[in-house]
Amino acid sequence: MRRARVLVGVVALAVVAGIAGAQESYPTRPITLVAPFPPGGVADLTARPVAASLEKILKTPVGVVNKTGAAGAVGMQYVATSRPDGYTLLLALSSISIIPEADKIFGRPPAFTIEQFAPIALVSADPTVLVVRAESPWKTAREFIEDAQKRPGQISYSSSGVYGTLHMAMALLEHAANVKLRHVPYAGAGPALTAILGGHVDALASGPAVVLPHLKAGKLRALAGWGEARVASLPDVPTFKELGYPDAEFYIWAGVFAGKGTPEPILTRLRDAMRQVVADPDFKGAMDKLETPIVFKQGEEFQRFFDADARRLAAGVRRVGRIETK
Amino acid sequence: MLTTNRVAAVTLGALAVVVLFESRKLPLGSLHNPGPAYMPVLLALALLVFAILVGAYGGASRGLGAVGWSEWRHAAAILGTCAFAAIALERLGYRLTMAIALGFLIGVIERQGVFVTLTLAVALAAGSYLLFDTLLRVPLPRGPFGL
Amino acid sequence: MTETVHNLLLGFSVALSPPVLLYAFVGCVVGTIVGVLPGVGPLAGISLLLPATFGLDATKAIVMLAGIYYGAMYGGSTTSILMRIPGEAASVMTCIDGYAMARKGRAGAALAIAAVGSYVAGTVSVVALMFLAPPLASFALRFGPPEYFALLILGLLVLAYMSSGSMVKALAMATLGLLLGMIGIDQMTGYFRFAYGVVELGDGIGVVPVAVGLFGLSEILATAGQETPPAVIKPTLRELLPSRQEWKDANWPIWRGTVLGFLIGIIPGSAHIISSFVSYAVERRLARRPEEFGQGAVAGVAGPESANNSATSGAFVPMLALGVPSGPIPAVMLAAMMVHGVSPGPLLIKQQPELFWGFIASMYVGNVVLLILNLPLVGVFVNLLRVPYPLLYPGILVFCILGVYAVNSSVVDVWIMLVMGLVGYLLRKLEFEPAPIVLGVILAPMIEMALRQSLAMSDGHYAIFLTRPIATTLLAVGVVLVSLSFRSLVTRGLDWRTRMAMAEKGEEL
Repeated sequence: MRRARVLVGVVALAVVAGIAGAQESYPTRPITLVAPFPPGGVADLTARPVAASLEKILKTPVGVVNKTGAAGAVGMQYVATSRPDGYTLLLALSSISIIPEADKIFGRPPAFTIEQFAPIALVSADPTVLVVRAESPWKTAREFIEDAQKRPGQISYSSSGVYGTLHMAMALLEHAANVKLRHVPYAGAGPALTAILGGHVDALASGPAVVLPHLKAGKLRALAGWGEARVASLPDVPTFKELGYPDAEFYIWAGVFAGKGTPEPILTRLRDAMRQVVADPDFKGAMDKLETPIVFKQGEEFQRFFDADARRLAAGVRRVGRIETK
Repeated sequence: MLTTNRVAAVTLGALAVVVLFESRKLPLGSLHNPGPAYMPVLLALALLVFAILVGAYGGASRGLGAVGWSEWRHAAAILGTCAFAAIALERLGYRLTMAIALGFLIGVIERQGVFVTLTLAVALAAGSYLLFDTLLRVPLPRGPFGL
Repeated sequence: MTETVHNLLLGFSVALSPPVLLYAFVGCVVGTIVGVLPGVGPLAGISLLLPATFGLDATKAIVMLAGIYYGAMYGGSTTSILMRIPGEAASVMTCIDGYAMARKGRAGAALAIAAVGSYVAGTVSVVALMFLAPPLASFALRFGPPEYFALLILGLLVLAYMSSGSMVKALAMATLGLLLGMIGIDQMTGYFRFAYGVVELGDGIGVVPVAVGLFGLSEILATAGQETPPAVIKPTLRELLPSRQEWKDANWPIWRGTVLGFLIGIIPGSAHIISSFVSYAVERRLARRPEEFGQGAVAGVAGPESANNSATSGAFVPMLALGVPSGPIPAVMLAAMMVHGVSPGPLLIKQQPELFWGFIASMYVGNVVLLILNLPLVGVFVNLLRVPYPLLYPGILVFCILGVYAVNSSVVDVWIMLVMGLVGYLLRKLEFEPAPIVLGVILAPMIEMALRQSLAMSDGHYAIFLTRPIATTLLAVGVVLVSLSFRSLVTRGLDWRTRMAMAEKGEEL
């Protein structure tokens, strides 16, 4: 009996020490950064430099795990339901705000909600750009919008999937410019790009990095961007804001999140670490190669950006509603 | 008489009916704008037709008893082990789960000796882990004790 | 012409330089391991090893990743032939006749033919890639949803030639497979279909767990408990190599498979998986003794394996010539290029000749390396069969679970494999063939999406299929094929398949 009590005492001590130790000297174990998209995509390619830099700064292995499926819902749900101990982080794209809304309009229990996450930092915020084929008759965004207003539902565009980022960008434009376009969904950003290159659709809203080579080669033409400011690599392309459509604002942003309920000291440590990550020359070099400018926001600023973006997207999704099948 | 064809026909037909039932909730759409239920309904109807045809014209078929079922217990045990592995994989970690599964299969089901069982179970579990997690960097789940 | 030769020499100087050669070799070895492992296919292999290439320069990274890709195609046939477990989705057809050959003691021959067929296909298709890339790529881009739909309908017709039993049973299995492919998010409207709250099913049940379960696991379930375990085959060295007759039988199928696979491979999308299925069906249709198929026909191994490998080169055509992400694997390779600062695009060949020609040259080299690697391994692998089955199958089971899990780090996939294993076991007992199910699972989402995309493009008008030349041609070919079959049914009385099915009564599948 006495031995049992000693054993219990030792175990209790160990547990307490473990918890205290874990909190004080986080991180003590390898960290998992979940990228909810397949390898080679924007989320994955952003997650890897982040993980590499975090590993250097936090002095613990940070591994990227791709949990793909359902346009990111699988990975996001995984982190939302994991233990909020700071060892499972998420690199999310703007679709994190879209998916719960989409679930709501379909009347199904949401896979996760944005309240289940604690934002750590934003690392990039690429605005989408409107591209058309070089042979098409529209030389400026204004011509494109005017034509769309004259022929509602005739101009087609591809997207990475229904309620995906590329679809929502166009949906916001449709609402802001009061036009109706014809949507042809594809299964991913790659096929959407292939479709416009093959001439099967007229337009595409895309992240600038992937279309840059084609713009330079003269196969595609960029008409306007969805950002607040012009895209750095495309200085001649006006923004929809400049053209008088300030509601057409959309970013494919990437940010790091932890589960809600992660202890404050760990969150602070992670935020400090992210500040160091974006100053890291290796990280900067990697993002340069991806032609993705680093946009760093943290704390209050990030929360504001995130909330505004979430509101915009939620309204957009509700406007799109369920796709009518007559 | 229960022939293989009739059993198959009934099963497939039942499956088709279930699909049709479940597709009620999805919008059907029209011929020009097919909805999410369109193809499943078409396919379920086709399956129903084929199920009936199999039952009637499937060609030669044997009585259910004539098919050899002798190994079903073995098969059930293997399936059970797989189910255990699926449940335990992310809870107990890869190496532990596989070692237990292998130990069970080789030791209990196949009744090989203790030494053979232990060696093979540990070697295969650890070896495959080494090859894939360490060398090829395929992330495999770790359980308690870092296993 | 001279410019091409000059470029090719430049390419070889890059490809044969020791560092690049080393990475090509590493890629080939890893690819072979990935291919041999059930379930984990080239896409999973490349994705998993992408991060490992970040420290390398662009040429080495691309060469290694490509090595993994076509290495996996070589390796995929190994488990298919020896244990009836598909190494990846594209090797499913090899399971059928390859395993039958192994049961007859011709495992070594099957492996050798698969290796040689893969080599011929790989090399010839690289030559085609070299000369024909730009014009072919422009042609391939013209395949939009309507063309895709027409092509996939043709692929469906292939199902009719895939099985040896009763036609009605095959069609029932195909429909079942098509239905299974309907599980998941409907890409056109966002509805979750038949997923019952399991988020992981959003992308469908996945062809990998289905293939491994239906073929591999069901084989284990059916064989493990037999009172008389399968005879351990101990081939002599002479028996390891194919006989003269077998080489002759393999000749034309290899060439046909190469051409067919390449053409299917250049089409953007995931269609290249069906190259082996189509090749099998073509070989069966053209065979002088079609009743051999399913019992160990050499053409049933040579054709699909060659089609596999040349489809991989075909998949690179739009990627290299135009910078188009023409499928999941080229998309990952393009991402790898981007990460290394090489911007893929139509000007890639001009701006980065060392990369392009080095890549082409390393593919030649890689194919030779793989042939040299695989042929002696035939002996090693066949010796694996000597292990007594009760000890062998637990190991196989571990690798199946590992492979299926590793693709998506998802336990749901393991469950799917389990369920499909049970289904496959029951199907064997009830004398149904599982192959059409796999093809159905692959084709269903693609066909549905292509149809609805086409209708979205044309605002609901079916005429779009008739106003686009490529789509119309493909559909016309399909109509011709169907009417030919009907005519032969009517004029020749009983279909030869049904005759054969009656003759096969009582024999084990």
